[in-house]
Amino acid sequence: MPEIIEKISFYLDFPFVQYAIIVGVLVSLCSSLLGVTLVLKRYSYIGDGLSHVAFGALAIASVLKLTNNMLLILPVTIAVAILLLCTGKNARIKGDAAVAMVSVGALAIGYLLMNIFSTSANISGDVCTTLFGSTSILTLKAEEVYLCIVLSCIVIFCFVLFYNKIFTITFDENFARATGVNTTIFNLLIAVIVAVIIVLAMNLVGALLVSALVVFPALSAMRTFKSFFSVTIAAATISVICSLIGIVIAILAGTPVGSTIVAADIVAFGLFYLIGIARNGGN
Amino acid sequence: MYKHIQAKAIAFLAIFALAAQTFARPVDIDLTRMSGTMVYAQVYQMVMHPGKYVGKRIKMKGVFSSYYDDATKTRFFGCVIADALACCSQGLAFELEKPHKYPDEFPDEGTEITITGDFDYVVEEGEEDISYPIIRKAKMTNE
Repeated sequence: MPEIIEKISFYLDFPFVQYAIIVGVLVSLCSSLLGVTLVLKRYSYIGDGLSHVAFGALAIASVLKLTNNMLLILPVTIAVAILLLCTGKNARIKGDAAVAMVSVGALAIGYLLMNIFSTSANISGDVCTTLFGSTSILTLKAEEVYLCIVLSCIVIFCFVLFYNKIFTITFDENFARATGVNTTIFNLLIAVIVAVIIVLAMNLVGALLVSALVVFPALSAMRTFKSFFSVTIAAATISVICSLIGIVIAILAGTPVGSTIVAADIVAFGLFYLIGIARNGGN
Repeated sequence: MYKHIQAKAIAFLAIFALAAQTFARPVDIDLTRMSGTMVYAQVYQMVMHPGKYVGKRIKMKGVFSSYYDDATKTRFFGCVIADALACCSQGLAFELEKPHKYPDEFPDEGTEITITGDFDYVVEEGEEDISYPIIRKAKMTNE
């Protein structure tokens, strides 16, 4: 045990490990906050679709050799999020079909572009790290960390400020509209926040595993807690703890960071599932 | 008398050699102490921000690899740290302290080696500038 602690403190001296922990905590906190709303609104899979769009945008940014690829990834992902979340009921291609179409389409185009207009000597490494987040969190630049801190603060501020409105829209959109809440604006806000979280989370766990950060903490918390507030707080706590455990295990054992965090989330879900059964006496 | 002086000189040189080894420059970055994920991230930093690492003494363990460049008619040697999926491998070129004859005095491709040497960054000017990190004055062992 002292050896492990010594090794952890040795690794914590590296700036890129400190960056990874800061970004890991912030991203998992933000994703879990909105995760509860997305799960309850039956939009669990939206994170997956949007992360694939972000991957496609990243490929285009690489081909265009943009110095700051966020300038393209963020607007494209936000635009698609608005299209999927705000026009869902009136669109000609509805709900899950639209998500599936956008998801696989963006993934295919992204991979195609990366192959045709390769700007790197190691395409498989780039694809592996972007899709599965094998090491991307440990290769962040200082400016990317600052951007993540600013965007995370905005997301948390918006969530706290509009908590009551988000709560109303989550459970009964028609009731919210009847009580004078401008649901279009708040659905738009949720779409923008979700897109920002997805883009941030892509660095942490990779494009294919983003949904896990959104879905698992919320579902784990729902096994044991019942009110919206307690579920949100529990989901945020579970998500942050799982991310920290995942990052530490990954750097100690040399496992891929993204999948290790998701594995920690799965274990937490299993634990909370059992706690939920024990509490309800098997019902 | 001559033999006595010779014996003293040999003893002195032996002690000096031992002391020189003991007080050899310490390793600044020991990649052999790190996990695969950390090695990838550390080498990535060294490649992306070479200026911070020039002159630092590096120790790394990996597999031996070599590549012959037809354009410059030069053979490059590298120490590669592979990962399970072979997609996120990282490696550094090295230049041995004492010249060795290839292939007789080098290990087979894929043999595990440990390299200790000074980090440097090469910029070759041409139509398109080529830059790459390299470990100079390297000592290679089969540890």
